[in-house]
Amino acid sequence: MRLFFSGIRKLYRRPATFVTFGLLVGLIVLILILAGATANSTVGNGNGGGQSSRAAIKDLLTFPGAYDRMLSVVVSIGGLFGMVYGAAIAGSEWSWGTLKSAVARGESRVRYMLLTYASIGLLIAIGIVVAFVVALVTAVISANLAGISTSGLNDASTLSDLPERLLKGWVAVMEETALGFAIATLARSQLAGIGAGIAFYFGESFASLLLPNIVKFMPFSVANAALSSGSSGLGSGGQAIAALPADQALVLVFVWLIGCLVVVSLFADRAEITG
Amino acid sequence: MSGTSGTSGARMDGAGVSGTGVSGTSGARGTDGLALATRGLSKSYGSRRALNGLDLSVPTGVVYGFLGPNGAGKTTTMRVLTGLIHADGGTVEVLGKPFRRGDRHRLFEVGALVESPTFYPYLSARANLRELAASGAHVPSKRIEELLDLVGLCDRASDKVQGYSMGMKQRLGIAAALLSDPKLLLLDEPANGLDPAGIVAMRDTLRALASQGKTVFVSSHLLAEIQVMADVVGIIAAGKLVREGQLKELLSMQGVVKVRVRPNLVDGAIATLAPFARAERLTETDREEGWLSVHLATDRAEQVNQTLAGAGIYASGLESGTDLEMLFLELTGGQRPSSSEGEFVGLGSPNGAEDGGAPAGKGTAA
Repeated sequence: MRLFFSGIRKLYRRPATFVTFGLLVGLIVLILILAGATANSTVGNGNGGGQSSRAAIKDLLTFPGAYDRMLSVVVSIGGLFGMVYGAAIAGSEWSWGTLKSAVARGESRVRYMLLTYASIGLLIAIGIVVAFVVALVTAVISANLAGISTSGLNDASTLSDLPERLLKGWVAVMEETALGFAIATLARSQLAGIGAGIAFYFGESFASLLLPNIVKFMPFSVANAALSSGSSGLGSGGQAIAALPADQALVLVFVWLIGCLVVVSLFADRAEITG
Repeated sequence: MSGTSGTSGARMDGAGVSGTGVSGTSGARGTDGLALATRGLSKSYGSRRALNGLDLSVPTGVVYGFLGPNGAGKTTTMRVLTGLIHADGGTVEVLGKPFRRGDRHRLFEVGALVESPTFYPYLSARANLRELAASGAHVPSKRIEELLDLVGLCDRASDKVQGYSMGMKQRLGIAAALLSDPKLLLLDEPANGLDPAGIVAMRDTLRALASQGKTVFVSSHLLAEIQVMADVVGIIAAGKLVREGQLKELLSMQGVVKVRVRPNLVDGAIATLAPFARAERLTETDREEGWLSVHLATDRAEQVNQTLAGAGIYASGLESGTDLEMLFLELTGGQRPSSSEGEFVGLGSPNGAEDGGAPAGKGTAA
């Protein structure tokens, strides 16, 4: 457990933790405020595009559906940030040589890496909850700006499902984080891990246009599908793609997550630590 | 040798002997009295053979100097000994027990500084030691303060490591290696970046640890540093051990008497001194300056002087000493650096002087 708590202390003091969280929250707030502030002006355009935008914004900010939309926004954007964060943490253990110091003290490489990932998981759980709350508050403000009713805010059925939905969202982000963690471990580098992770994210997004039936099984798509309730969902780039049913997607999320951690474990255990 | 005895190490800020130091434990007891042993250790990187049947025998309670030219396999050996890489063949025994893949717990009694010290740059020295202590063997929290004091970083312990100089990081690296009060300490170039006072204090600390029965294995290219610090040395070249033994014994076979005569008398002096040494052991170091080197026991310097005087050749300078550098170069097939020609071969090397190390030899100057 001391290694787990040590991991949390290290992450808590790490500037990247607050920078990543700040960017995530800032981006969400910016998107929602802009949506609320521009909702009425899009109506004024008087064209079909404006009306559909108004409908989309209304759909985004109307409660109780907004609970799901906010969670999707947090998980979708948070997944990308989680992957970058995971890559940064895992990569720095190799490029800073701090894994080397622990191994030379007799620490298990696999235990060290997995507990580092576990400590990331705790911070991400806190981050998701806080970001979700911020998103909700911002959504209420934006709804008021747009003149949309917030009467569904106290919908009992939605509120009772919220913990489970948040848990699924956390698992989805953790899967994407595990992907970044694994890529950076293989690359043994922060920058290479982050770069490859972002390339993977956008690569999956572009590939979904050409190979939707394959991409729906890919990590970012299944993470988004695990939270969606319909037959289509948001791809990694935010576009609508054919998606797996949520239950099936959730299973695949676990498969990707465990697969990434197995890769991390095998590589860390067998790697020659030099430099 | 400037080692301290007892249980305290000298503070590495050069501020004198610390009262906290490294708490003593009884020395490690290894199989056959060895704290560290490798047999037939081999390791290749692709087609390049880094270790080629390395046999090391490091007795308990000594400072062991591990020497070798660049690329000889020192760092590879250190990596194998700390479990960072795995050998292709051969065996390693640490503190009397086999150290194989999966025997990581053996390292709980080992402290190591391999290559450059590594830390989280955004954490302070204190926090870095605390987080490192969370891995491996358990470390009492007061130990961290003791070590910060030992390495002279108490005043800067709350500063982020990213602002540290190389020497400060090196001090912190040594503190990190000592975290678990190890019975066996593996240090790779520990003097790197240290100022002269830091080098002296580091040396005293390592000597103090050895006097407590701990074993200190120091890999270095600073021959002068090893010569004043080590009890036992092992010299490797091309991944193989070429010589190992008590430093005093090795050096006693490596005496140098240096004589300066007038340049026009050099040939006569060579002829006169030829009976003292085999032909290849009598060399002109610098004809223009008239320096000759005779390799023989240093206590025969007086005889050399007497013989020259008997032949009517009067020495204007006579120096004697023992030289690890000479031994090292001989064993590793290296060439003497041109910068040292014309200088006294047994006392002081350019490296030692630059790094604030003590003189390389223990000879006397006449």
